[in-house]
Amino acid sequence: MLEFDGLVRHYGEVVALDHLSFTVPPGQVFGFLGPNGAGKTTAMRAVFGLVALGAGTVRWKGSPVTADDRRRFGYMPEERGLYPGMVIADQITYLARLHGMAPADARRATGEWLDRLGVGDRADSKVEALSLGNQQRVQLAAAFVHEPELVVLDEPLSGLDPTGVDTVSRVLTEQAAAGRGVLFSSHQLDLVEDLCQSVAIIDHGRLVASGTVEELTTGGRRRLVVKVAGDWTGAWAGALPGVTISRTEGGAVRLVLDEGTDPQGVLAAAMQAGTVEHFGFERRRLSEVFREALG
Amino acid sequence: MTWLYVAVAAVLVALRLWWRRRARARAAGPSAETGGPDAAGRRRLGRLGAALDSFGGDVGLVARREVRERVRGRTFRIGTAVILLAVAAAVTIPVLRRGNHVHDRVGVVGTLSAPLRATVVAAGPAVGTTLTLVDEPSQAAATRDLRSGRVAIVLIGARRLLVDQALDPTDTSTTALLARVLSSTISLQAGLEAAGLAPARAAQLAHPRPLAVHSLQPPKHNQTARSTAIYGLILTYVLLTTYGTWLLMGVVEEKSSRVVEVLLSTLRPEELLAGKVIGIGAVAMLQAALIVGVALGLGAALGSDLLHGAAALSVVGSLLWVVLGYAFYCWVWAAAGSLADRQEQVQSLAFPLQLPILFGYIVSFTALGNGAASPLVRVLAFVPPTAPFAMPVLVATGQTTWWQFSLSAVLMLVATVGVARVASAVYGRAILRTGGRQHLRQVLATEAL
Repeated sequence: MLEFDGLVRHYGEVVALDHLSFTVPPGQVFGFLGPNGAGKTTAMRAVFGLVALGAGTVRWKGSPVTADDRRRFGYMPEERGLYPGMVIADQITYLARLHGMAPADARRATGEWLDRLGVGDRADSKVEALSLGNQQRVQLAAAFVHEPELVVLDEPLSGLDPTGVDTVSRVLTEQAAAGRGVLFSSHQLDLVEDLCQSVAIIDHGRLVASGTVEELTTGGRRRLVVKVAGDWTGAWAGALPGVTISRTEGGAVRLVLDEGTDPQGVLAAAMQAGTVEHFGFERRRLSEVFREALG
Repeated sequence: MTWLYVAVAAVLVALRLWWRRRARARAAGPSAETGGPDAAGRRRLGRLGAALDSFGGDVGLVARREVRERVRGRTFRIGTAVILLAVAAAVTIPVLRRGNHVHDRVGVVGTLSAPLRATVVAAGPAVGTTLTLVDEPSQAAATRDLRSGRVAIVLIGARRLLVDQALDPTDTSTTALLARVLSSTISLQAGLEAAGLAPARAAQLAHPRPLAVHSLQPPKHNQTARSTAIYGLILTYVLLTTYGTWLLMGVVEEKSSRVVEVLLSTLRPEELLAGKVIGIGAVAMLQAALIVGVALGLGAALGSDLLHGAAALSVVGSLLWVVLGYAFYCWVWAAAGSLADRQEQVQSLAFPLQLPILFGYIVSFTALGNGAASPLVRVLAFVPPTAPFAMPVLVATGQTTWWQFSLSAVLMLVATVGVARVASAVYGRAILRTGGRQHLRQVLATEAL
């Protein structure tokens, strides 16, 4: 269990972390979400002692994180980072060794992880010879190769094609299922809500919301998604009492109903506007949770 | 001389073939993993690495990576080959030149008595050569031979000496020395003969047996110690600047590629810095050992005077100062690297670091050329940034004592500890700081990270 407890960090006048506290339980894919510049990277670097904190502690299993703990952590920084001119297999083996693996184990694990992430055939290439997407897979291998108890991945999905996203999602889920801690950050809240079991959402260095995705998305006001043929703006719903248009997507209007608003009235208004092609309740999106929490 | 060309050509051909084999192995692609020479090399290195595995913990791991990557790199291999060729040439050519000069010809126009001829021939060894006399049919033929260099000097009877170029009083070439010796002895002997002495008696008087010279002390440090020290200076200069630049570039590479953040998630900055410095230092010392080994081996095989007399002391002194010099400068170079943000900044960071090295090198080199150290060099020998150059000069010219040498070395070690502390503080603070080139004052003024 990883605990962020009251982290504070200023960069000059800018507040990067403002008494940030939350807990990452093991065995779950935990999403660390928030807009760009919210302080996610600073908090993740704090786990590895890469930022000096003004106040607060990061704890692992109840006590402050030590160098020994970090050996059993895996890390993928936001800006990535591999030796461009070094042979990939050597590089991953080297990083595994730095995390305390024996030489033979390190070589075996390197081969396994490169295969698993689909870059096994490039083991003898140099990193600079790979496409950016494949470099990212190698970077993931570097974070996972030593079978860490906790992985911290900063924006692991950015820059990946759909196959890459699937691969990473699968690996993260497997790792969590094996009882390990998996913390990853993303600024695209809605894209990752299916992947995470729990999330912490931050803004301006402060915690905005946290909990399981289930809790966060099922509570609160009800959401209705209505599609009326030929309608692209949802203007018909604009004047309805107790109804707010959350957004329109591909002709479907996402509506937030106030407490006590009757969905049947909304359906009647929709039928008056045209042929209703879709009408159904949906869960809150994480971006909505975020916006509502900010008020 | 011919065999030298053959040897150089053979080395070049061998290098060329080796490269071609390597290139082909690379082109063969992934199969190299199972059977290529590259893979075999890696396995060999791997075995060596495995043998050293328990050594040095994380610092050892970092250092071993540096050694492996550098030694495997093209820069190191080509650089070493070029330096070794230069060393081979530097050792071989003086030996060959010495061989060339053992024989000179003296042209004789007209008649010369047998005792005078004997006197001329006997003058050879005194100036370090053996002489043969060539009878010239005419003065014109003799002039021609002189111009073409077939003969070094022409004797016209016992009356006149002819050389190609007018002699400068400071000229110490074999021809000049020979001309001076011959002009006085032949003139004296001819004069004695003319005064009525029997030719044999005249020859005896003109060529007296030299007095034995005894000395109170053994010879001072000789010319060979100086030339050995010159090679030592060049080696120190080349190694310090080359490996300093490697360190600088290595640190910049880690910082600009951001791999440093991955490394520092499990290593402390001091461990990474120490591993780098030790690894690159080990490569530097390996290269130095290779160069010195080849020079000494070749020198011994060819009978070069590279190691005569005090030169051995000079070699040991130079090597010790290469190590001390690297230990002092490596921290500075690495810390400078941590201030950069991009590879393009390497040049501007390296320049100020090269200045004290260049200064020490030039001043010391000049002193060696003069054969004696100026007061400036004597002072610089105790100033850590220049001591690696100035102290070996004092050793070679015999102007130092063992306690002065030790004092300078101790000062150097103390300074190295100080420099290492400041440098690792700078490194630790600057290495994770991005967003443009960092400035030293600003880095030192802020807290860590």
